[in-house]
Amino acid sequence: MATLFLDILTTSSMLFIVAAGLMIILGVMKLINFAHGAFLTVGGYSAHVVTDAGFNAWLTIPAAALVGFVLGIVVERVILRPLYDRPLDAILATWGLGIVIAQVITFIFGRGVQFAESPISGTADLFDISYSSWRLILVLVAVVLGAALTALLYFTRFGLNARAVIMNENLARGLGIDSVKVRALTFGLGAALACAAGALITPLLSIDPNMGLPWLVNSFMLVLVSGVAIPGLALASLLLGGAQVLVSTFVSPIIGGITIVVLAAVILRIKPQGLSRG
Amino acid sequence: MADITSQTPQRSLSPYWTTAIAAALALAVVLTAPLYLDIYLTNVLIRALFLGVLALTVDLVWGYTGILTFGQSAFFGIGAYACALVFTHWGFGPGWFVAALVIGILAAGLIAWLVGLLSFYHGASPLYSSIMTLALPIVLVQIIFSGGRFTGSSSGLSGFPTYYWSINTWFIIAGVLLVTVASLAWLFVRSDFGRILIAIRENEDRCAYLGIPVSAIKTGLFVVCGAIGSIAGFGYAAFTNVVAPELAGFLLGTESLVWVALGGRATLIGPILGAIGIDVTSSYLSGSLPFLWKFIVGVAFVVVIILLPNGIASLVTGAWRRYKTRGKDETAAHRHRSNVTLVPAKSRRLEENLSDDKAPILIEALTCRYGSLTVLDGIEVEGRRGELLSIVGPNGAGKTTLMRCISNGGERTSGEVVIAGEKIGRRSPQKIVELGVGRSFQNTSLFDSLTVGDCLRLARYRIDGASYLERTERVALPEPALEILKATGLGRQLGLETRYLSHGMKRGLELAMVLATEPRVLLLDEPTAGLTKPERTAIGDVLTRLVEDYGLCVFLIEHDLDFVREISNRIVVLHQGKMLLDGSVEEVVSSDLVKAVYSGQETETPA
Amino acid sequence: MSALRKPESAESVLTVEGLTSGYDAAPVVRDVSFSIAAGEILVILGKNGMGKSTLLKTIMGFVRASSGKVHLAGENITNRPPHLIARHSVAYTPQEYAIFQDLTVEENLRLGVENDKLLKERLGDVEAAFPRIAERLRQGAGTLSGGEQKMLLLSRALITRPQIMLIDEISEGLQPTMVARMAEVLRATKEKNGVAILLVEQNLPFALSVADRYAILKIGEIVERGDVAHADTAATLEEHLRI
Repeated sequence: MATLFLDILTTSSMLFIVAAGLMIILGVMKLINFAHGAFLTVGGYSAHVVTDAGFNAWLTIPAAALVGFVLGIVVERVILRPLYDRPLDAILATWGLGIVIAQVITFIFGRGVQFAESPISGTADLFDISYSSWRLILVLVAVVLGAALTALLYFTRFGLNARAVIMNENLARGLGIDSVKVRALTFGLGAALACAAGALITPLLSIDPNMGLPWLVNSFMLVLVSGVAIPGLALASLLLGGAQVLVSTFVSPIIGGITIVVLAAVILRIKPQGLSRG
Repeated sequence: MADITSQTPQRSLSPYWTTAIAAALALAVVLTAPLYLDIYLTNVLIRALFLGVLALTVDLVWGYTGILTFGQSAFFGIGAYACALVFTHWGFGPGWFVAALVIGILAAGLIAWLVGLLSFYHGASPLYSSIMTLALPIVLVQIIFSGGRFTGSSSGLSGFPTYYWSINTWFIIAGVLLVTVASLAWLFVRSDFGRILIAIRENEDRCAYLGIPVSAIKTGLFVVCGAIGSIAGFGYAAFTNVVAPELAGFLLGTESLVWVALGGRATLIGPILGAIGIDVTSSYLSGSLPFLWKFIVGVAFVVVIILLPNGIASLVTGAWRRYKTRGKDETAAHRHRSNVTLVPAKSRRLEENLSDDKAPILIEALTCRYGSLTVLDGIEVEGRRGELLSIVGPNGAGKTTLMRCISNGGERTSGEVVIAGEKIGRRSPQKIVELGVGRSFQNTSLFDSLTVGDCLRLARYRIDGASYLERTERVALPEPALEILKATGLGRQLGLETRYLSHGMKRGLELAMVLATEPRVLLLDEPTAGLTKPERTAIGDVLTRLVEDYGLCVFLIEHDLDFVREISNRIVVLHQGKMLLDGSVEEVVSSDLVKAVYSGQETETPA
Repeated sequence: MSALRKPESAESVLTVEGLTSGYDAAPVVRDVSFSIAAGEILVILGKNGMGKSTLLKTIMGFVRASSGKVHLAGENITNRPPHLIARHSVAYTPQEYAIFQDLTVEENLRLGVENDKLLKERLGDVEAAFPRIAERLRQGAGTLSGGEQKMLLLSRALITRPQIMLIDEISEGLQPTMVARMAEVLRATKEKNGVAILLVEQNLPFALSVADRYAILKIGEIVERGDVAHADTAATLEEHLRI
């Protein structure tokens, strides 16, 4: 029982962390980034490189974030800006980008599975059971991330500008906000979050060129259901992630794998705006 | 009334003949090629040909209709697995062969129908529809994984009994399938129906307001393409004797998008060549340079999307077009050969107007709220036959919202709209057009790449239907529509693409298209905006005739108050969402209250 | 007061020359020229659909000018992106969707200034003009009444301390007392701070109570212009604008 509860909590946290970057990109740029999985992979490999070079495992996360940010800024400028008026084509272009990134990674690192050191290993004792410490840390990370993003959005000038652009880009421009810069920085931030998420989940999974793929579709579905709001995403992660854990435990892990997709499809059909608006 | 014909009637070869000739040539290539190619290449080509059929279906769904679909591979996989499962578990023989093929087609069709219902409803965002098509292969692959020994799970099934015909025979089978599907597809996209697909891609909303059942068409197309994809998958499995979940997965689905994007969307031949070219090259390079090849394809894909959205084929078609139009002036270059002939329609609807006794339109306690903002509050209006009612009011009074609530059952918060005795309930725009409501819009968004003749034909879909294989020549239009075409000179421009029409002509075309749907209630939103004086007069005359001679009920939103005064029978004044006054032209014009509202002095609407 | 001010004054803040924009075949704004000096209010009058809003949008860079020029304090800003024009100390209040309904009053005001320090300093401007707004900083802008929303809109423009304001039909839907207050505020702004104001209006009495000069737009062209101070102006304008 306690294991189940912790499984649900930790799985939801992982999903939240992975999907957060995708959500802010969708919010500000009205775009689904199909290279999200590739960014996760880049984050994973950054972690591998950092620990392989002998650095402290805790450094993998900021390192991955930095790599992601730079990559995001470049991608926005080169690939996304020309496609501003063509959102469906922009989705496709990010998919193509994902393919290219996967090939580059395979080229550099080979197809084999890699590992990265976990900053904390072992288990902790909680509720009379032993549970993976790193998974528990992720719950903390998810909470801190949610709080940090909320603080960024609601207490900083950048956040205010970003919210203005989300609500009405033209009005924002008329007030002197350079919406192009806001979009670029948002994409950088979203990419940084995706890569950091990749680094965060590698201790629990192995690293290979396609590690991001399974998370891709689940992230999309969560973000669409979230109604592009942080509390909405938290709720979606909890509900759908919880459902996934329950189905995997009591029915079958394979069917569990598609729970999120199926549930999200149904929810969106009934309530196209997702879970957050009234 | 005399027929209006276009400027340059052409005697060109019937499409049936050109297609037949092209098909014959292609078949000749198919029959002789194996004699010249080595075994390895032939082997690879057979698979590529089946994949070419898949690429065709993706082009129809995405290239022509604009539905970004990641999941056509699911249907390919269904066909493949139908083949493998039936032959492995139940039996083999000519009967089983047919049975498995049919099972594959039915399963694919059913699933396509379900996905269509889920994804293509009116108002679904394109993003949502795409994500649904992405979810399809993922769910399917998981189901395959969970099938254990029955489906072969992740390793798939192989070695099942199949027809071990010679390579050359299989080549001919694959080739014939591809040529047949391609020929039918070619006729289809050049037919009336093909124009409708393009119209849906360019302006889906406008199609719905012309009474075209967009959701049903999308779903229907999806089902047919699913069935065709399933046949191709069946052939692929029967030939290769191996099936694996990858055949149904979304990686193959996205690859098919790459073929279509690189080859050229909406060209049919581009995607086929793209699929064959990339697949064959991959086979040769996957041994030696696997990553480099995929990398190159990935980069080419991104580059093409950004710089050449119409694919590599567009370079060819662009050059061809420049060659054809050299030496001609701008508009002549954009005039297509048009065989369209306009004839008067036997319109029962307009005659019915004169004998109907129910009110054409009744609005009861209509309220529309967006969140905390009340845009319309308790509006009550009755429209009468043979009457032009102008709706005026300051900006933000709710006029356009009122039209939206009438033409789309899902917009209003409460209240009811009754069209000729029938409540609209929550009906979608297309169903409301069926009740007899026609609406024009403030902006002139039409279908850029379609010609004037195409647009008129497609406006008649609801009444006259559309051919699946042919381009019909005669378009029947009701008298009022014909008059507008004559008055604006559009009758002589049937072959011109609408993007080259002047603003005034676009307005005229739009009005003609709406009239073509034979409405009994006409909703016009600022029809004279941006028009010159003579154009305004022309529209004014047409509207007056529509009302006096044809008994239509017309609701008009206008800012040009001189225009309103000249042609209205009645005026309704809206202010801050409430009806201020409903009366004759003299009553409204002389009302002090109305004057005060317009000059901003009065803000409280008297009860 | 400003009866004899010449359009080509050297202190002109905004100069528009031969501006044309809109559809190619039927432009919405046709060959419009005028200029406004510091501390002056020019009102553009005209019925709906005559191109007034489009004129402002073209100056602001939201609609492409197909020909003509716009100069701001001597600098050519034709077809520049809107956010750069806004940063040139231009405050634009659109007619629709002019405030962020889901942000608070304070956040809406903050968007008018570059940083929070300036917000604190300039809040006094808002308090002087519309004390009701200054009292409701924490309230969601969408919950304000229509009149209060317009006050917020004008407050946001004031807090920018612009050199010129482009104001699109701000009196629309307001009660007479509120309209009078708006007029007071606009006059005070122009007199105390030398702000130039380009006003687009349909409300004749309001327009006449604030403007120094007027121009009438009909189907995109300026058909009549003059000084408000002249005696028969009101009657002429009534003629042009009668329902």
